[in-house]
Parts: sequence; structure tokens; C-alpha cells
Amino acid sequence: MAKRIAITCGGGYVPGLNAVIAGATLAALRASWEVVGVHDGFDGVLFPEEYADGGVMSLDRRAAEALPIAGSALGTGARRDPFRIRAVTADNAVKEVDRSDELLARLSEAGVKAVIAVVGGSAITGSHAMSVAFRLHRKGLPIVCIPKSVENDIAVTSLAFGYDSALGYATDALDRIRAAARDVRRLAVVEVPGAEAGWLALQAGLAARADAVLIPEIPYDIPSVARMLRRARDEGHPPSLVVVAQGATSREAPGEAAAPVSGLRKSLSPLSDLRFGEGGRVIDRSGAVAEALALELQRSCDIETVPLNLDHLVRTGTPSALDRQLGLAYGAGAVDAIEQGRPGSVMAFQPPHLGSVPLAEALNRVRRVPLDGDLVRTAAAIGLCLGHDKGAGHER
Amino acid sequence: MSAEAVRGLVLNIQHFCTDDGPGIRTNVFLKFCSLHCKWCSNPESIGPKPEIAYDSRKCIGAKACGRCLKAPAPEGAFYVVEGEDTVRVNWDLAHEAGGELAALCPAGAISLFGRSMTVDEVLQEVEQDGTFYRESGGGITLSGGECLLQPDFSAALLREARNRGISTAIETAGNVPWEFMEKVLHHVDVMLHDHKLTDPVRHKLWTGADNSRILANFKKAYETFPDTKFIARTPLIPGVNDDEEHIRAVLAFIRPHANVVDYQLLPYHRFGASKYGFLGKVYELQDFSPPAQETLERLRAIIAESFGRAPAL
Repeated sequence: MAKRIAITCGGGYVPGLNAVIAGATLAALRASWEVVGVHDGFDGVLFPEEYADGGVMSLDRRAAEALPIAGSALGTGARRDPFRIRAVTADNAVKEVDRSDELLARLSEAGVKAVIAVVGGSAITGSHAMSVAFRLHRKGLPIVCIPKSVENDIAVTSLAFGYDSALGYATDALDRIRAAARDVRRLAVVEVPGAEAGWLALQAGLAARADAVLIPEIPYDIPSVARMLRRARDEGHPPSLVVVAQGATSREAPGEAAAPVSGLRKSLSPLSDLRFGEGGRVIDRSGAVAEALALELQRSCDIETVPLNLDHLVRTGTPSALDRQLGLAYGAGAVDAIEQGRPGSVMAFQPPHLGSVPLAEALNRVRRVPLDGDLVRTAAAIGLCLGHDKGAGHER
Repeated sequence: MSAEAVRGLVLNIQHFCTDDGPGIRTNVFLKFCSLHCKWCSNPESIGPKPEIAYDSRKCIGAKACGRCLKAPAPEGAFYVVEGEDTVRVNWDLAHEAGGELAALCPAGAISLFGRSMTVDEVLQEVEQDGTFYRESGGGITLSGGECLLQPDFSAALLREARNRGISTAIETAGNVPWEFMEKVLHHVDVMLHDHKLTDPVRHKLWTGADNSRILANFKKAYETFPDTKFIARTPLIPGVNDDEEHIRAVLAFIRPHANVVDYQLLPYHRFGASKYGFLGKVYELQDFSPPAQETLERLRAIIAESFGRAPAL
């Protein structure tokens, strides 16, 4: 039997997935591997009956070159954790079962010698996919992970693919929101992805010339933010845009997420567990921070506020040129890591080099905005409010 | 082994309860459930084994302690992010470990849901409230989880409670083999039982399993135990089962049986949401609001009419 590489994509779309699949496939074919793609994480292997093509598709040169620029040929609906799969037993009891051994056996039977897994990196699942990869590797599966994230919070790589596209979308959206808010003399409070790190909020906020940007790295102080917004208004420059990362917290309650404040939403659908997943690990509070903050700012500034949540709008769409190139590089690099005998690793881009680090070193780490870095310095220099008026001069 | 020495996996013993059976009662929550209802307010009761929980607010910090960051804790199960001191949990790796992790934490941030107790140990605690039972007509209520999934323990506990003059009740979803239910019902005065959804397909979507065996069990229970009182209940979830059609279907099912003495609606509450965070699980119904008062009153009026009594104010 020919040696085979399987490619899987963890849950959640980010722009550039097809570039990764194409990069890995073309590089693997040149190194004399056969390549298969597994649908929806490992669901395609464990639940072949749910797919018209049996859950696993062959990837040859023609298939790789025919992949559209946007989208993911392998789906992004993976929500089942092979270690905890919900099942109904013969006597009608619902329980969670560990099917990881069965997964490894099926991959082995299919001639799969190595797996390339795209993992990330979202507010819903945290580092879940990487943890699953880590556990599968400990059980003997040769696996190389590729980091995807629109929040760019994966510690081992300076640029996860998907981030550059999300930054572009977020900036474009913030430009429009800022202009619209100015027209109607309101203050838009816009939440962007960033449960652990404020890269997207800060970079897009700077680019869109926001009045304030609140990020998880700097707990914010409502009276200080309100003071700055009031002063801008009184000086004839009505503030129109506050950008807040999903994980930003107040100085009074650092680390405590805002309570969900909206009413009936996603969970109304019986299919909502496709959204939240059976293996997810955190409560989705998307949109809650913007709502809570908008209310507080309206109370303390007497400026009419509008909460908005970009969330999935910045996670989708056509990848930027950089993400296409980066996707190809990550895919080809993962094949090289397998060829070089470095399974159990995560690809890491540290310009100008693309290398890999052991999974154990990548787990449980977060890449955060350095408070002494150029982004924060720039914000301070131009008078962008970062949530308080003490310390590093984060206010004009 | 004597009946008093039979052991069960107990989650919690809650005193002075007034919502789960007549009078003032002591609720004994047992661990393990055969359904996974998305609105479950006791997520810690679902798994069949003791499981760890983590409350970061109690953590005294890695610098002061850090015992959970090294062996025997599993590699990567607990960690600290750069710039922070409070320990975080990687639930994928922490779940691999057993209850011994709780002993690592001197601050009690890591705790254990579920402890093995004998019938006698449970009853010693339950009997502390004996005066209240006598004065209010209360007693012991076994709840869960699904108390009928530990049939030997539940039967032994309720038999012994009766021997000691304590009135007995159980709260069940009914998704168990009939033999389990029958074994326990011999020792039960009041059975509170859930009619969550009437349509089997929707029941499976929201709870994980269809309701055919549940309904068969309930019908058999009504007929086999004519002297037992049955109280039907529905946890009312907006947009899921807060409609007249469901309420009327349940009434059609229970009203032919004279020993089903009441049908109660339990407004959905969100008390369970924070516990999901402690367990590292997703609370799938986080965005639901409790049912509107007018909906509750309208549906309760339908039930009152069916039972031939004036609607409650």
C-alpha cells in the first residue's frame, strides 16, 4: 500500500483553508505521498455514513488545482471530539464514549502514515483542537498541526493564517461603521474577535482611527474612557467609534467576562449544538461585551451608543494575498516537517523562517499584545484611548 | 453486605427544599444521567463517575502555590498564561485525571463532584431534619442526575427511610430499564416525573434520546403502582415546549390515570449556567430567557381546568 497523508481541518472557517489544502497536497504529491482529505475534522473517518463520498476524499493534482480560492474543500463543521463522542446506547441511554482508538485503527487501515491537522484558535473552542491533536499524538498518531486564527493569539507563530484577511475585513467594516455613526451622531461600540489577545481590535482600531480601543491586555476603566469621550465631544470632535475585543474586561472586575445580555439568539435552533459543539469548552459570550460596554458608556457620557458585533463577519470571505501565500507555505511546510521526521509538532512562522515546534511547547500558551511594543506606543503617541488615563499616556 | 452498607454515588444533599414533593424535604442528588438535556441546571450530575470542577476565583495563584502545575497532575492539565498568576484548566487534559486532583489544591479551587456514600451515611444526614418532616408532611426526595440509574442503592435507601418513618419521593426522567424503575417504586410514596417533550424526534434533538421507553415506563408505573402518587412535571423552556399542544398532549397522557394527582410546570431558570464554566462544558442554552409570566399563567390555567380546579393566582 502506498504511503498516505491525511489532511483535516478543525472546526471554524478562516480565510485561506483551501490554500493550506492545496499547498500540502501539491508538496506531498511531489514527495511521492498519496493524499486524502478528511471531512469535518475527524468526523469523516468516524461517521462515513454521513457523507456522500464516504467522508474521505482523494486529493490529486487536478483536485488541488481546482480548489476555489475561498472556502474549505474539507468543511469546517468539525465539532465532535474523538475522545468524547455523544452516543445513544442500545438501551437508549445518552453517554459520551472515547472512540480515539477506533479513529487510530481506521486511519491505519486506510494506510494513513501521517496527519496534517489545521487547528485553532477561536473563542468557542479555545485550544481544544490542538489539545485533541496532542492527545492523539501521545497515542501514537504522527500529526503535524497548522495554526489558524483570526485573532492571531497562537503563541508559537507570529502570524497564523487567516489573521491578515480578518484584519482587512475588520478595518473595512470599522471604516464604514465610523462614517455611519458620525452621520447619525452616535457612538458605535464594536466588538471584534479577541478573547485572549487584542491584536485584531488594536490593529484594526488604529487603522480605522477609532476613538478608543479596549483589549484584554489592558483592563479598562469606564470613568476614564467616559472622561476622554466627553472631552472629545466638548472640544468639537464627537467620538464615533470604540472598538472592544471580545475578551476585554474592566479594571473593577479583571478577568471576569461581561454577563450575556441579549435574549433569544442562537440556541433557539435544535441544531445549535453544531454551532456550540459537543467538544467545546467555553461559554460563547460573543456580543456581550459590546452590549454591556455600550450601556455603561451611554450612562456615563450621555452619548447615544449603538453596540455592534463583527464576530463571524470577519471570519469569513476570500483570503487576502498574504493569507493565500501563507496558507500554501504552511501546507508545504507541514509536509516537510513530516518528511524530516518531526511529527507531534506545530508549524511556526517566525519571519523569515517557517519551522515547527513540539506540540507540548505550543499548548496552553497565548500570544498577547506586548504593552511595551510599537502598537501600544503608537496608540499612546497619537492619543488613542486604550481604556485608562494613567500610566503609559494612553490618552490624548 | 447489609442494606445500610450499600453504596451510591451522591452528588449533594440539600436541606429544606420545598419544590420537590410535599412539605419540607431533604433532596439527595445522585450522580449519573442517561439524558443530556440542553437546559440541564445540574451539569455536574450527568457523568457516571466523580469529576473535577474548577473555580478560578478560589485559586491563590501559581506563585503562592502552583501544586497543580506539576506531577502528579497530568501534563498540561493546568497552566498559567504569561503575565497572569491564576491557574487555568485545559479541560481536554484535565478530564483524563481522576478525583485525586482535588486533593492537590489547598485552596479548594479544584473540587470533586460526587462521593461514594452508604445508605446509613445518607440517612444520618437526612434524619437531622426529622422534626421538619413530621411538622410539614415532608420527607426525603431522591433526585439527580437520574436516581433510578442506581436502582440497588436507591431502593435500599428509600426502604430504610420508610423503615425509619420518613416519607419517600423520587424525581425521575424515566429513561431507564423498567426493572430499575419497578425495583425502586416499591419504596416510593410520590414519584415526580418529567414530560419534557411529546414528539419523539424533538425529544431526541433536545435531550439526546427519544421518549418511547420513557412513556412506556410511565404508563406501566401508573398501572402497576395504583397506590403511589404521581406528579407529572415539565421544565418549561421558551421556544421548545412552552406551547399548548405539548401541555394538552401531556394531559391526554396522564388524565386517564387517577393516581397522577398533579401536573406542574417548572419555569426554566439559568442557575446552572455558571456551573458549566466550573466543569469546562458548554451551556447550550445560555441565551434563553425564562418564560414570560403570561405564558406560564395561560398554560397553568389549561392544567387547572383539566384537573377541575380554579387557576392559581
